[in-house]
Amino acid sequence: MNMNHVESPRTLAWRRLKKNRGAVIGMIVLAIMIVMAVCAPLVTPFDPSTQILEYSVKPAMFRGSVLYKKNPVDPTRPSIIAVSTFEQRGDSVYYRDPAGEPYVISTSQLMSTDVREYHGEPLFLLGTDRFGRDIYTRLIYGMRVSLSVGLISESIALAIGILLGALAGYFRGWVDDGIMWFVNVVWSFPTILLVVAFSVILGKGYWQTFVAIGISSWVDIARIVRGQFFSIREQEYVEATRALGFGHVRTIFRHMLPNASGPIIVLATAGFATAIIAEASLSFIGLGVQPPTPSWGQMIKDGYGYIALGTNWGMTLFPSIAMAIAVLVLNVFGDGLRDALDPKTSQR
Amino acid sequence: MATYILRKILYTVVVLIGVVAVTFFIRPPGDPTRVLLGQRADEASVAAMREQLGLDRPLYEQMAIYMKNLLQGDLGTSIATQRSVSETIIERIPATALLALTSIAIATVLGILLGVIAAWRPNTWIDTLTMSTSLLGISLPAFVVGLLFVLVFGVALEWFPNSGYIDRGIEHLVLPMITLAIRPLSIIARVTRSSMLDVLGQDYVRTARAKGLSDVRVFLHHALRNALNPVITTVSAWFAGLLAGTYFIEFIFNWPGIGLAAFNAIEKLDYPMIQGTVLFTAVIFVVVNTLADVIYGLVDPKVRFS
Repeated sequence: MNMNHVESPRTLAWRRLKKNRGAVIGMIVLAIMIVMAVCAPLVTPFDPSTQILEYSVKPAMFRGSVLYKKNPVDPTRPSIIAVSTFEQRGDSVYYRDPAGEPYVISTSQLMSTDVREYHGEPLFLLGTDRFGRDIYTRLIYGMRVSLSVGLISESIALAIGILLGALAGYFRGWVDDGIMWFVNVVWSFPTILLVVAFSVILGKGYWQTFVAIGISSWVDIARIVRGQFFSIREQEYVEATRALGFGHVRTIFRHMLPNASGPIIVLATAGFATAIIAEASLSFIGLGVQPPTPSWGQMIKDGYGYIALGTNWGMTLFPSIAMAIAVLVLNVFGDGLRDALDPKTSQR
Repeated sequence: MATYILRKILYTVVVLIGVVAVTFFIRPPGDPTRVLLGQRADEASVAAMREQLGLDRPLYEQMAIYMKNLLQGDLGTSIATQRSVSETIIERIPATALLALTSIAIATVLGILLGVIAAWRPNTWIDTLTMSTSLLGISLPAFVVGLLFVLVFGVALEWFPNSGYIDRGIEHLVLPMITLAIRPLSIIARVTRSSMLDVLGQDYVRTARAKGLSDVRVFLHHALRNALNPVITTVSAWFAGLLAGTYFIEFIFNWPGIGLAAFNAIEKLDYPMIQGTVLFTAVIFVVVNTLADVIYGLVDPKVRFS
């Protein structure tokens, strides 16, 4: 081993992070969530929009008898028929639906001619919603939306925040005055109200939601970057870049920005959590991601009507818990990251 | 001193002009009349509505009219209710103010108390419990907390009514107030704790302890007073977040404040009403922050000259 080996700040931060139990647990849970969201079709028993109206509003751990019918649209996800009883005679299956109405279907229309393959009693782990859709499945698909919102919105916010903050902190003077005026104007609106306002302006939908949250959440980042640049600007190495005749762009992005990255990363983690909350809040008030795309906020609102009745609280509780876990995990991880990147605070 | 205050006020006005400009653009995409009347509305009624909303004029003219009306306290007319937006907001201020002020009061008192307790015995179970509960409080959005409270205290335990205004009894205030307080309470508790721990490490606290003063006296007289500055900043900064939080809380608990009006307006894309409520909230926020700045300037000369 090289005796002059010096560990980089990044290695040191990583080591401190690994020692923080909360942060490590957070990281693991986060990784599991990401994997589940990416592999959603593999870890869920149904399609998120499959409706089994006969099995609507069922409690957790419900099992329902169903026939699997061929699905012309998606061969991997069968259509589902709820049945109370069924009987195969030759090439036909005679069955009664849960209301007792008799029907007949040819086995050629089913997924298989083998009873063990065309009939099943799947488990609805967390119950079903008012359209008979599997809540667990929709929860996992909703996680896709939440995590993408966090990722994409936060990227937009980072891009705007870093650019404006860097310009203000680097050039100062009237550039700073102008940008800070804009920052203060945007900062005057509580984030969630700004998100709502932009959603009204941009309209409902998937991408509109991402953009609305992104362009509402960059203010804190701009402020931090500006503050960092104010102090970094006075350092010798920045003076050196000037002496070497480097351009502004090179100095800002190659030399100053990497040295401001610690607080930016910490803010970005917190922003990720805020974006998830913002999306859920938007869906909750009917803006944001639109049905049938599953979203946690929407699921919570769907269940809201049942709460007052005192029944099927799972429809609200499960997506709430999912969101709480996601945000909690991000916050714990963010705290650990801050302590790791800024050792001065970690003694507290 | 006077120049400091004057400068603050002038800058606030400049920011407010920007705030008004942003608010002006809050309207549905495309032709708002089409959104409001539906795609199949006939040309005559669309034209009539465009004229009524002033949409037939060029944008800069619309903006000039908007600002001129604003200076006279006129926020326009709600499309859904056909009533003056300013009047609707004014008559709803008491409900929202009651909710927001009682919440921030509870959050401040309990938050500081919990923070002090956690700092009193750091890294013990009391500290861990307080800090992990407050982390949960920060992580849950207000509307989720509200729904869970309705579920537990309203429906399951039936301790408090889960909807309605105080004209039907003061107990109607309890759930919305606590729900709204949870998030600022959690943040205030965390800020107080870390600020207290900072202060407790200072020499003058050690001196006070060495003099043989009791724990309580050291905590309350020497440490807490100096630890409160960041807490006050947090409280004033959180007041705005609290106002935004009322939008969801008022909807969940059917509390007839500005937030509920905004919520209904958002559902109907009643944009004059949305503009009015958003502007109102932003203006309150800016004014509260300017006041906080001015007070800091009065209390602490360092701020004035920075």
